[in-house]
Amino acid sequence: MNIIMLWVISGVLAVIPAVIWLYIIFSGKKSDKKMLALIFSGGILAVITVFIIQYIWLIVPGIDPFLWIKNNISDPTYYYAGLFIMVGIMEELVKQMMLRYIDSKTVLIQTINDSIKFSLVAALGFAFAENIIYFKTVIIVAPIQEVVVTFLFRSIFTACAHMLFSGIFGYFFGIAKFSLDISKDRHWEGKVYLWVHLIRNTFKIPYAQAFKEYKILEGLLIAIILHATFDYMLQMNQILPVILLVILGYAYLKYLLNRKAGNLILLTDISKKKSSSMAKKDTDVVLQLVGMWFEQKKYVDVMHICERLLERDPDNNVVKLFKAKAMDKLDPNNPYRKILTTIFSKKRGEQEKNTIDYYRRKKEVEQKKLTKEKKEKLFRFIEDKKKEDEETFKINV
Amino acid sequence: MATPATVTIEDIESSSPDMTVKIVKFTGQLDESNVDEKAQAIYDLIEKVPRNLNLIFDFSELEYMNSKSIGYLTDWYGKVYENGGKIVIAQTRPNILDILQVVGLTQLIKTFPTIDEAKFAISHPAS
Repeated sequence: MNIIMLWVISGVLAVIPAVIWLYIIFSGKKSDKKMLALIFSGGILAVITVFIIQYIWLIVPGIDPFLWIKNNISDPTYYYAGLFIMVGIMEELVKQMMLRYIDSKTVLIQTINDSIKFSLVAALGFAFAENIIYFKTVIIVAPIQEVVVTFLFRSIFTACAHMLFSGIFGYFFGIAKFSLDISKDRHWEGKVYLWVHLIRNTFKIPYAQAFKEYKILEGLLIAIILHATFDYMLQMNQILPVILLVILGYAYLKYLLNRKAGNLILLTDISKKKSSSMAKKDTDVVLQLVGMWFEQKKYVDVMHICERLLERDPDNNVVKLFKAKAMDKLDPNNPYRKILTTIFSKKRGEQEKNTIDYYRRKKEVEQKKLTKEKKEKLFRFIEDKKKEDEETFKINV
Repeated sequence: MATPATVTIEDIESSSPDMTVKIVKFTGQLDESNVDEKAQAIYDLIEKVPRNLNLIFDFSELEYMNSKSIGYLTDWYGKVYENGGKIVIAQTRPNILDILQVVGLTQLIKTFPTIDEAKFAISHPAS
Protein backbone atom coordinates (compact mmCIF):
# COMPACT_ATOMS: atom_id res chain seq x y z
CA MET A 1 0.00 0.00 0.00
CA ASN A 2 1.16 3.49 -0.83
CA ILE A 3 2.75 5.11 2.26
CA ILE A 4 0.76 8.33 1.85
CA MET A 5 -2.44 6.31 1.53
CA LEU A 6 -1.48 4.42 4.68
CA TRP A 7 -1.07 7.64 6.66
CA VAL A 8 -4.37 8.98 5.27
CA ILE A 9 -6.30 5.82 6.23
CA SER A 10 -4.71 5.80 9.71
CA GLY A 11 -5.53 9.49 10.09
CA VAL A 12 -9.16 8.98 9.08
CA LEU A 13 -9.51 6.03 11.48
CA ALA A 14 -7.94 8.07 14.30
CA VAL A 15 -10.08 11.12 13.71
CA ILE A 16 -13.38 9.17 14.05
CA PRO A 17 -13.11 8.46 17.82
CA ALA A 18 -11.71 11.97 18.46
CA VAL A 19 -14.75 13.60 16.80
CA ILE A 20 -17.20 11.28 18.56
CA TRP A 21 -15.64 11.91 21.99
CA LEU A 22 -15.51 15.67 21.41
CA TYR A 23 -19.19 15.56 20.45
CA ILE A 24 -20.02 13.59 23.62
CA ILE A 25 -18.14 16.06 25.85
CA PHE A 26 -19.21 19.33 24.25
CA SER A 27 -22.58 18.67 22.58
CA GLY A 28 -25.13 21.26 23.63
CA LYS A 29 -22.54 23.32 25.52
CA LYS A 30 -21.13 26.67 24.54
CA SER A 31 -17.48 26.31 23.64
CA ASP A 32 -14.81 28.29 21.87
CA LYS A 33 -14.02 26.02 18.90
CA LYS A 34 -10.77 27.83 18.06
CA MET A 35 -9.53 27.31 21.59
CA LEU A 36 -10.54 23.66 21.53
CA ALA A 37 -8.63 23.20 18.26
CA LEU A 38 -5.59 24.86 19.82
CA ILE A 39 -5.66 22.57 22.85
CA PHE A 40 -6.26 19.52 20.62
CA SER A 41 -3.20 20.54 18.59
CA GLY A 42 -1.32 20.92 21.87
CA GLY A 43 -2.15 17.27 22.62
CA ILE A 44 -0.79 16.24 19.19
CA LEU A 45 2.31 18.32 19.82
CA ALA A 46 2.78 16.46 23.12
CA VAL A 47 3.22 13.18 21.17
CA ILE A 48 5.76 14.87 18.92
CA THR A 49 7.56 16.12 22.06
CA VAL A 50 7.69 12.53 23.36
CA PHE A 51 9.28 11.46 20.05
CA ILE A 52 11.83 14.26 20.24
CA ILE A 53 12.76 13.24 23.80
CA GLN A 54 13.08 9.60 22.73
CA TYR A 55 15.25 10.69 19.77
CA ILE A 56 17.52 12.63 22.13
CA TRP A 57 17.84 9.51 24.28
CA LEU A 58 18.83 7.55 21.19
CA ILE A 59 21.64 10.01 20.53
CA VAL A 60 22.63 10.25 24.21
CA PRO A 61 21.84 6.78 25.65
CA GLY A 62 23.45 7.70 28.97
CA ILE A 63 20.39 9.79 29.94
CA ASP A 64 17.80 7.27 28.66
CA PRO A 65 15.78 6.07 31.73
CA PHE A 66 14.21 3.24 29.70
CA LEU A 67 17.64 1.88 28.85
CA TRP A 68 18.62 2.14 32.50
CA ILE A 69 15.51 0.14 33.52
CA LYS A 70 16.26 -2.45 30.81
CA ASN A 71 19.87 -2.87 31.92
CA ASN A 72 19.28 -2.89 35.67
CA ILE A 73 15.96 -4.64 36.29
CA SER A 74 15.84 -8.30 35.31
CA ASP A 75 12.62 -9.37 37.09
CA PRO A 76 9.83 -9.01 34.46
CA THR A 77 7.24 -7.76 37.00
CA TYR A 78 9.48 -4.95 38.26
CA TYR A 79 10.77 -4.29 34.76
CA TYR A 80 7.30 -3.68 33.35
CA ALA A 81 6.24 -1.74 36.46
CA GLY A 82 9.28 0.54 36.09
CA LEU A 83 8.83 0.83 32.36
CA PHE A 84 5.16 1.84 32.55
CA ILE A 85 5.70 4.22 35.45
CA MET A 86 8.30 5.94 33.25
CA VAL A 87 5.84 6.01 30.31
CA GLY A 88 3.17 7.43 32.64
CA ILE A 89 5.49 10.14 33.96
CA MET A 90 6.60 11.17 30.48
CA GLU A 91 3.22 11.17 28.75
CA GLU A 92 1.27 12.80 31.59
CA LEU A 93 3.92 15.49 32.05
CA VAL A 94 4.03 16.50 28.37
CA LYS A 95 0.22 16.42 28.00
CA GLN A 96 -0.23 18.74 30.96
CA MET A 97 2.64 21.02 30.01
CA MET A 98 0.78 21.90 26.82
CA LEU A 99 -2.40 22.78 28.71
CA ARG A 100 -0.52 24.75 31.34
CA TYR A 101 1.36 26.65 28.65
CA ILE A 102 -1.85 27.61 26.78
CA ASP A 103 -3.54 28.54 30.07
CA SER A 104 -0.64 30.77 31.07
CA LYS A 105 -0.94 32.66 27.77
CA THR A 106 -4.75 33.05 27.75
CA VAL A 107 -7.55 33.31 30.33
CA LEU A 108 -8.55 29.78 29.47
CA ILE A 109 -9.53 28.13 32.72
CA GLN A 110 -12.24 29.94 34.69
CA THR A 111 -13.78 27.01 36.55
CA ILE A 112 -12.57 23.65 37.84
CA ASN A 113 -14.66 21.97 35.15
CA ASP A 114 -12.92 24.05 32.46
CA SER A 115 -9.66 22.56 33.65
CA ILE A 116 -11.11 19.03 33.43
CA LYS A 117 -12.68 19.58 29.99
CA PHE A 118 -9.61 21.17 28.42
CA SER A 119 -7.46 18.36 29.86
CA LEU A 120 -9.82 15.89 28.16
CA VAL A 121 -9.34 17.71 24.85
CA ALA A 122 -5.54 17.66 25.23
CA ALA A 123 -5.78 13.93 26.01
CA LEU A 124 -7.90 13.37 22.89
CA GLY A 125 -5.30 15.20 20.78
CA PHE A 126 -2.64 12.98 22.30
CA ALA A 127 -4.66 9.78 21.75
CA PHE A 128 -5.40 10.90 18.14
CA ALA A 129 -1.70 11.26 17.28
CA GLU A 130 -0.81 8.04 19.09
CA ASN A 131 -3.65 6.18 17.32
CA ILE A 132 -2.40 7.23 13.86
CA ILE A 133 0.94 5.57 14.57
CA TYR A 134 -0.68 2.45 16.07
CA PHE A 135 -3.19 2.05 13.24
CA LYS A 136 -0.48 2.52 10.61
CA THR A 137 1.64 -0.22 12.21
CA VAL A 138 -1.29 -2.63 12.63
CA ILE A 139 -2.54 -2.10 9.05
CA ILE A 140 0.91 -3.09 7.72
CA VAL A 141 1.50 -6.20 9.83
CA ALA A 142 -1.89 -7.57 10.92
CA PRO A 143 -4.93 -9.10 9.22
CA ILE A 144 -8.12 -7.03 8.83
CA GLN A 145 -9.83 -8.61 11.90
CA GLU A 146 -6.98 -7.47 14.13
CA VAL A 147 -7.11 -4.00 12.60
CA VAL A 148 -10.82 -3.80 13.49
CA VAL A 149 -10.24 -5.03 17.07
CA THR A 150 -7.34 -2.58 17.55
CA PHE A 151 -9.44 0.23 16.10
CA LEU A 152 -12.38 -0.48 18.40
CA PHE A 153 -10.29 -1.02 21.53
CA ARG A 154 -8.09 2.03 21.04
CA SER A 155 -11.02 4.21 19.98
CA ILE A 156 -13.09 3.35 23.01
CA PHE A 157 -10.81 2.31 25.84
CA THR A 158 -7.39 3.81 25.10
CA ALA A 159 -8.87 7.20 24.18
CA CYS A 160 -11.10 7.02 27.25
CA ALA A 161 -8.15 5.99 29.43
CA HIS A 162 -6.10 8.97 28.23
CA MET A 163 -9.05 11.23 28.99
CA LEU A 164 -9.39 9.65 32.42
CA PHE A 165 -5.74 10.20 33.37
CA SER A 166 -5.68 13.75 32.05
CA GLY A 167 -9.17 14.58 33.33
CA ILE A 168 -8.25 13.60 36.87
CA PHE A 169 -5.07 15.64 36.63
CA GLY A 170 -7.21 18.47 35.19
CA TYR A 171 -9.41 18.35 38.29
CA PHE A 172 -6.40 18.71 40.60
CA PHE A 173 -4.91 21.37 38.34
CA GLY A 174 -8.21 23.29 38.58
CA ILE A 175 -8.08 23.10 42.37
CA ALA A 176 -4.45 24.22 42.29
CA LYS A 177 -5.25 27.11 39.97
CA PHE A 178 -7.85 28.44 42.40
CA SER A 179 -5.82 27.48 45.46
CA LEU A 180 -6.23 30.91 47.03
CA ASP A 181 -9.98 30.37 47.51
CA ILE A 182 -10.04 26.58 47.77
CA SER A 183 -7.30 26.40 50.43
CA LYS A 184 -9.39 28.82 52.55
CA ASP A 185 -12.50 26.71 51.97
CA ARG A 186 -10.67 23.57 53.13
CA HIS A 187 -9.23 25.50 56.10
CA TRP A 188 -12.71 26.49 57.31
CA GLU A 189 -13.83 22.89 56.89
CA GLY A 190 -11.13 22.07 59.41
CA LYS A 191 -9.03 19.99 57.03
CA VAL A 192 -5.32 19.78 57.84
CA TYR A 193 -2.80 18.94 55.12
CA LEU A 194 0.49 17.89 56.65
CA TRP A 195 2.24 17.80 53.26
CA VAL A 196 1.17 21.38 52.54
CA HIS A 197 2.68 22.51 55.85
CA LEU A 198 5.84 20.59 55.02
CA ILE A 199 6.12 22.21 51.56
CA ARG A 200 5.40 25.65 53.03
CA ASN A 201 8.01 25.30 55.75
CA THR A 202 10.63 23.73 53.47
CA PHE A 203 10.39 26.27 50.65
CA LYS A 204 9.27 29.24 52.81
CA ILE A 205 6.32 30.00 50.55
CA PRO A 206 2.77 31.18 51.40
CA TYR A 207 0.23 28.51 52.38
CA ALA A 208 -1.94 28.95 49.24
CA GLN A 209 1.10 28.47 47.00
CA ALA A 210 2.19 25.38 48.94
CA PHE A 211 -1.39 24.06 48.60
CA LYS A 212 -1.20 24.70 44.84
CA GLU A 213 2.08 22.81 44.43
CA TYR A 214 0.75 19.96 46.58
CA LYS A 215 -2.44 19.61 44.51
CA ILE A 216 -0.49 19.61 41.22
CA LEU A 217 1.82 16.92 42.56
CA GLU A 218 -1.10 14.91 43.91
CA GLY A 219 -2.93 15.07 40.56
CA LEU A 220 0.18 14.15 38.63
CA LEU A 221 0.90 11.22 40.93
CA ILE A 222 -2.64 9.83 40.62
CA ALA A 223 -2.58 10.26 36.80
CA ILE A 224 0.82 8.51 36.58
CA ILE A 225 -0.25 5.62 38.83
CA LEU A 226 -3.48 5.13 36.83
CA HIS A 227 -1.58 5.32 33.54
CA ALA A 228 1.06 2.83 34.67
CA THR A 229 -1.62 0.46 36.05
CA PHE A 230 -3.54 0.63 32.75
CA ASP A 231 -0.44 -0.10 30.64
CA TYR A 232 0.76 -2.83 32.99
CA MET A 233 -2.59 -4.64 32.99
CA LEU A 234 -2.74 -4.40 29.20
CA GLN A 235 0.74 -5.89 28.98
CA MET A 236 -0.42 -8.75 31.22
CA ASN A 237 -3.54 -9.22 29.05
CA GLN A 238 -5.84 -8.34 31.97
CA ILE A 239 -8.53 -6.93 29.68
CA LEU A 240 -11.47 -7.15 32.10
CA PRO A 241 -9.79 -5.13 34.92
CA VAL A 242 -8.68 -2.61 32.26
CA ILE A 243 -12.28 -2.19 31.05
CA LEU A 244 -13.50 -1.93 34.66
CA LEU A 245 -10.86 0.71 35.48
CA VAL A 246 -11.89 2.80 32.49
CA ILE A 247 -15.63 2.52 33.17
CA LEU A 248 -15.24 3.43 36.86
CA GLY A 249 -12.88 6.27 35.99
CA TYR A 250 -15.29 7.61 33.39
CA ALA A 251 -18.16 7.49 35.92
CA TYR A 252 -16.00 9.39 38.44
CA LEU A 253 -15.14 12.05 35.85
CA LYS A 254 -18.83 12.38 34.96
CA TYR A 255 -19.62 12.89 38.64
CA LEU A 256 -16.91 15.57 38.93
CA LEU A 257 -18.24 17.35 35.85
CA ASN A 258 -21.83 17.37 37.15
CA ARG A 259 -20.95 19.06 40.44
CA LYS A 260 -22.20 22.62 40.90
CA ALA A 261 -18.98 23.51 42.70
CA GLY A 262 -17.05 22.52 39.58
CA ASN A 263 -19.02 24.95 37.43
CA LEU A 264 -18.45 27.96 39.68
CA ILE A 265 -16.58 30.76 37.96
CA LEU A 266 -13.70 31.30 40.34
CA LEU A 267 -11.60 33.50 38.12
CA THR A 268 -12.57 37.00 39.18
CA ASP A 269 -11.49 40.38 37.95
CA ILE A 270 -10.11 42.08 41.08
CA SER A 271 -10.84 45.55 39.68
CA LYS A 272 -14.55 44.66 39.42
CA LYS A 273 -14.75 42.90 42.78
CA LYS A 274 -17.44 44.34 45.08
CA SER A 275 -16.31 45.06 48.61
CA SER A 276 -17.89 43.38 51.60
CA SER A 277 -20.23 45.26 53.92
CA MET A 278 -19.13 43.03 56.78
CA ALA A 279 -15.90 43.21 58.75
CA LYS A 280 -13.37 40.49 57.82
CA LYS A 281 -13.19 39.29 61.42
CA ASP A 282 -16.99 38.81 61.49
CA THR A 283 -17.01 37.11 58.06
CA ASP A 284 -14.36 34.72 59.37
CA VAL A 285 -16.54 33.82 62.38
CA VAL A 286 -19.46 33.03 60.05
CA LEU A 287 -17.24 31.06 57.66
CA GLN A 288 -15.84 29.04 60.54
CA LEU A 289 -19.40 28.18 61.58
CA VAL A 290 -20.30 27.34 57.98
CA GLY A 291 -17.30 24.98 57.80
CA MET A 292 -18.27 23.40 61.12
CA TRP A 293 -21.88 22.85 60.07
CA PHE A 294 -20.84 21.59 56.65
CA GLU A 295 -18.82 18.89 58.40
CA GLN A 296 -21.88 18.14 60.60
CA LYS A 297 -23.95 17.72 57.40
CA LYS A 298 -26.22 20.71 58.17
CA TYR A 299 -26.35 21.50 54.47
CA VAL A 300 -29.65 23.44 54.47
CA ASP A 301 -28.36 25.82 57.14
CA VAL A 302 -25.05 26.17 55.28
CA MET A 303 -26.91 27.10 52.10
CA HIS A 304 -29.09 29.70 53.84
CA ILE A 305 -26.16 31.27 55.70
CA CYS A 306 -24.14 31.44 52.48
CA GLU A 307 -27.03 33.14 50.67
CA ARG A 308 -27.27 35.80 53.40
CA LEU A 309 -23.49 36.20 53.52
CA LEU A 310 -23.37 36.66 49.74
CA GLU A 311 -25.82 39.56 50.07
CA ARG A 312 -23.21 41.23 52.27
CA ASP A 313 -20.10 40.01 50.45
CA PRO A 314 -21.19 39.22 46.87
CA ASP A 315 -17.82 38.29 45.39
CA ASN A 316 -16.55 36.02 48.13
CA ASN A 317 -15.56 32.83 46.28
CA VAL A 318 -15.13 30.82 49.49
CA VAL A 319 -18.80 31.46 50.37
CA LYS A 320 -19.83 30.59 46.81
CA LEU A 321 -17.87 27.34 47.05
CA PHE A 322 -19.54 26.35 50.32
CA LYS A 323 -22.98 27.12 48.90
CA ALA A 324 -22.33 25.08 45.74
CA LYS A 325 -20.94 22.19 47.76
CA ALA A 326 -23.97 22.20 50.08
CA MET A 327 -26.26 22.27 47.02
CA ASP A 328 -24.34 19.33 45.55
CA LYS A 329 -24.83 17.38 48.76
CA LEU A 330 -28.57 18.09 48.78
CA ASP A 331 -29.09 17.44 45.08
CA PRO A 332 -31.20 14.25 44.80
CA ASN A 333 -29.80 13.67 41.29
CA ASN A 334 -26.23 13.67 42.52
CA PRO A 335 -24.91 10.25 41.34
CA TYR A 336 -22.55 9.94 44.32
CA ARG A 337 -25.46 10.53 46.71
CA LYS A 338 -27.59 8.03 44.78
CA ILE A 339 -24.91 5.33 45.07
CA LEU A 340 -24.42 5.98 48.79
CA THR A 341 -28.17 5.95 49.41
CA THR A 342 -28.56 2.67 47.56
CA ILE A 343 -25.60 0.91 49.14
CA PHE A 344 -25.63 2.14 52.73
CA SER A 345 -28.94 3.48 53.90
CA LYS A 346 -32.23 4.53 52.44
CA LYS A 347 -32.69 7.03 55.25
CA ARG A 348 -29.49 8.94 54.56
CA GLY A 349 -31.54 12.06 53.87
CA GLU A 350 -32.69 12.07 57.47
CA GLN A 351 -29.11 12.34 58.68
CA GLU A 352 -28.85 15.76 57.11
CA LYS A 353 -29.71 17.70 60.22
CA ASN A 354 -30.32 21.38 60.07
CA THR A 355 -30.91 23.28 63.23
CA ILE A 356 -31.91 26.82 62.41
CA ASP A 357 -34.02 25.80 59.44
CA TYR A 358 -35.77 23.10 61.50
CA TYR A 359 -36.83 25.52 64.27
CA ARG A 360 -37.65 28.27 61.80
CA ARG A 361 -40.07 25.97 59.96
CA LYS A 362 -41.51 24.71 63.26
CA LYS A 363 -42.13 28.31 64.33
CA GLU A 364 -43.78 29.10 61.02
CA VAL A 365 -46.14 26.13 61.41
CA GLU A 366 -46.99 27.23 64.95
CA GLN A 367 -47.63 30.79 63.79
CA LYS A 368 -49.86 29.49 61.01
CA LYS A 369 -51.80 27.43 63.57
CA LEU A 370 -52.15 30.52 65.73
CA THR A 371 -53.42 32.52 62.79
CA LYS A 372 -55.92 29.76 62.02
CA GLU A 373 -57.12 29.78 65.64
CA LYS A 374 -57.41 33.57 65.54
CA LYS A 375 -59.35 33.36 62.28
CA GLU A 376 -61.75 30.79 63.76
CA LYS A 377 -62.23 32.97 66.84
CA LEU A 378 -62.94 35.97 64.66
CA PHE A 379 -65.33 33.95 62.51
CA ARG A 380 -67.22 32.76 65.64
CA PHE A 381 -67.36 36.33 66.93
CA ILE A 382 -68.83 37.55 63.62
CA GLU A 383 -71.36 34.69 63.58
CA ASP A 384 -72.46 35.46 67.16
CA LYS A 385 -72.73 39.14 66.37
CA LYS A 386 -74.81 38.33 63.30
CA LYS A 387 -77.16 36.16 65.34
CA GLU A 388 -77.39 38.88 67.99
CA ASP A 389 -78.23 41.46 65.33
CA GLU A 390 -80.87 39.19 63.82
CA GLU A 391 -82.47 38.73 67.26
CA THR A 392 -82.48 42.50 67.85
CA PHE A 393 -83.99 43.01 64.39
CA LYS A 394 -86.79 40.50 65.18
CA ILE A 395 -87.56 42.26 68.48
CA ASN A 396 -87.63 45.63 66.78
CA VAL A 397 -90.01 44.37 64.11
CA MET B 1 -4.08 31.23 78.96
CA ALA B 2 -7.83 31.59 78.65
CA THR B 3 -9.24 34.89 77.34
CA PRO B 4 -11.17 36.79 80.04
CA ALA B 5 -14.92 36.21 79.85
CA THR B 6 -17.64 35.87 82.48
CA VAL B 7 -21.15 34.48 82.63
CA THR B 8 -23.34 35.65 85.50
CA ILE B 9 -26.86 34.44 86.12
CA GLU B 10 -29.44 36.53 87.91
CA ASP B 11 -32.98 35.49 88.92
CA ILE B 12 -35.83 37.83 88.18
CA GLU B 13 -39.43 37.74 89.22
CA SER B 14 -41.77 36.03 86.84
CA SER B 15 -45.38 36.82 86.04
CA SER B 16 -46.40 33.17 86.35
CA PRO B 17 -45.46 30.70 89.11
CA ASP B 18 -44.63 27.85 86.70
CA MET B 19 -42.26 30.05 84.71
CA THR B 20 -38.58 30.64 85.58
CA VAL B 21 -36.98 33.81 84.24
CA LYS B 22 -33.26 34.53 84.44
CA ILE B 23 -30.91 37.15 83.05
CA VAL B 24 -27.64 35.70 81.82
CA LYS B 25 -24.98 38.35 81.40
CA PHE B 26 -21.97 37.65 79.19
CA THR B 27 -18.85 39.81 79.30
CA GLY B 28 -15.53 39.77 77.45
CA GLN B 29 -14.69 37.56 74.50
CA LEU B 30 -15.97 34.04 73.93
CA ASP B 31 -13.31 32.17 72.01
CA GLU B 32 -11.77 28.71 71.73
CA SER B 33 -9.90 29.13 75.01
CA ASN B 34 -12.95 29.66 77.23
CA VAL B 35 -16.16 28.89 75.34
CA ASP B 36 -16.55 25.24 76.45
CA GLU B 37 -16.17 26.14 80.10
CA LYS B 38 -18.59 29.08 79.91
CA ALA B 39 -21.13 27.09 77.90
CA GLN B 40 -21.24 24.47 80.62
CA ALA B 41 -22.79 27.02 83.02
CA ILE B 42 -25.76 27.40 80.65
CA TYR B 43 -26.10 23.64 80.16
CA ASP B 44 -26.13 23.23 83.97
CA LEU B 45 -28.88 25.82 84.19
CA ILE B 46 -30.95 24.09 81.50
CA GLU B 47 -30.52 20.79 83.34
CA LYS B 48 -31.52 22.35 86.66
CA VAL B 49 -34.69 23.92 85.26
CA PRO B 50 -36.04 21.37 82.79
CA ARG B 51 -39.38 23.08 82.02
CA ASN B 52 -40.45 26.62 81.10
CA LEU B 53 -37.03 28.20 81.44
CA ASN B 54 -36.95 31.74 80.06
CA LEU B 55 -33.58 33.31 79.54
CA ILE B 56 -32.65 36.87 78.72
CA PHE B 57 -29.11 36.98 77.37
CA ASP B 58 -27.53 40.32 78.13
CA PHE B 59 -24.85 40.86 75.48
CA SER B 60 -24.11 44.50 76.38
CA GLU B 61 -20.55 43.69 77.44
CA LEU B 62 -19.90 40.79 75.11
CA GLU B 63 -17.22 41.90 72.66
CA TYR B 64 -16.67 38.79 70.53
CA MET B 65 -18.33 35.45 69.84
CA ASN B 66 -16.56 32.71 67.93
CA SER B 67 -18.29 30.18 65.70
CA LYS B 68 -18.42 27.56 68.43
CA SER B 69 -20.29 29.91 70.78
CA ILE B 70 -22.85 30.55 68.03
CA GLY B 71 -23.20 26.79 67.68
CA TYR B 72 -23.81 26.57 71.45
CA LEU B 73 -26.36 29.39 71.29
CA THR B 74 -28.31 27.44 68.66
CA ASP B 75 -28.14 24.31 70.76
CA TRP B 76 -29.33 26.10 73.93
CA TYR B 77 -32.20 27.58 71.96
CA GLY B 78 -33.22 24.12 70.74
CA LYS B 79 -33.11 22.60 74.24
CA VAL B 80 -34.98 25.46 75.94
CA TYR B 81 -37.57 25.80 73.16
CA GLU B 82 -38.36 22.06 73.11
CA ASN B 83 -39.19 22.28 76.83
CA GLY B 84 -41.59 25.18 76.61
CA GLY B 85 -39.06 27.90 77.38
CA LYS B 86 -37.73 30.89 75.55
CA ILE B 87 -34.47 32.74 74.92
CA VAL B 88 -34.26 36.40 73.98
CA ILE B 89 -31.20 38.57 73.53
CA ALA B 90 -30.80 42.13 74.72
CA GLN B 91 -28.34 44.96 74.13
CA THR B 92 -26.28 43.24 71.46
CA ARG B 93 -23.31 45.09 69.97
CA PRO B 94 -23.63 45.83 66.23
CA ASN B 95 -20.83 43.45 65.15
CA ILE B 96 -22.35 40.53 67.05
CA LEU B 97 -25.86 41.39 65.84
CA ASP B 98 -24.42 41.41 62.31
CA ILE B 99 -23.12 37.87 62.74
CA LEU B 100 -26.36 36.62 64.32
CA GLN B 101 -28.38 38.09 61.46
CA VAL B 102 -26.23 36.49 58.76
CA VAL B 103 -26.32 33.15 60.54
CA GLY B 104 -30.13 33.42 60.70
CA LEU B 105 -30.36 33.23 64.48
CA THR B 106 -32.34 36.47 64.70
CA GLN B 107 -35.13 34.66 62.87
CA LEU B 108 -35.39 32.34 65.86
CA ILE B 109 -34.23 34.40 68.82
CA LYS B 110 -35.75 37.83 69.26
CA THR B 111 -33.31 40.65 69.97
CA PHE B 112 -34.14 43.78 71.93
CA PRO B 113 -32.27 47.04 72.41
CA THR B 114 -32.94 47.12 76.18
CA ILE B 115 -33.30 44.66 79.05
CA ASP B 116 -36.72 46.12 79.92
CA GLU B 117 -38.08 45.38 76.47
CA ALA B 118 -36.69 41.85 76.69
CA LYS B 119 -38.33 41.39 80.11
CA PHE B 120 -41.64 42.65 78.73
CA ALA B 121 -41.44 40.23 75.79
CA ILE B 122 -40.77 37.32 78.14
CA SER B 123 -43.64 38.18 80.50
CA HIS B 124 -46.07 38.93 77.64
CA PRO B 125 -45.56 36.04 75.23
CA ALA B 126 -48.47 37.00 72.94
CA SER B 127 -47.07 40.44 72.24
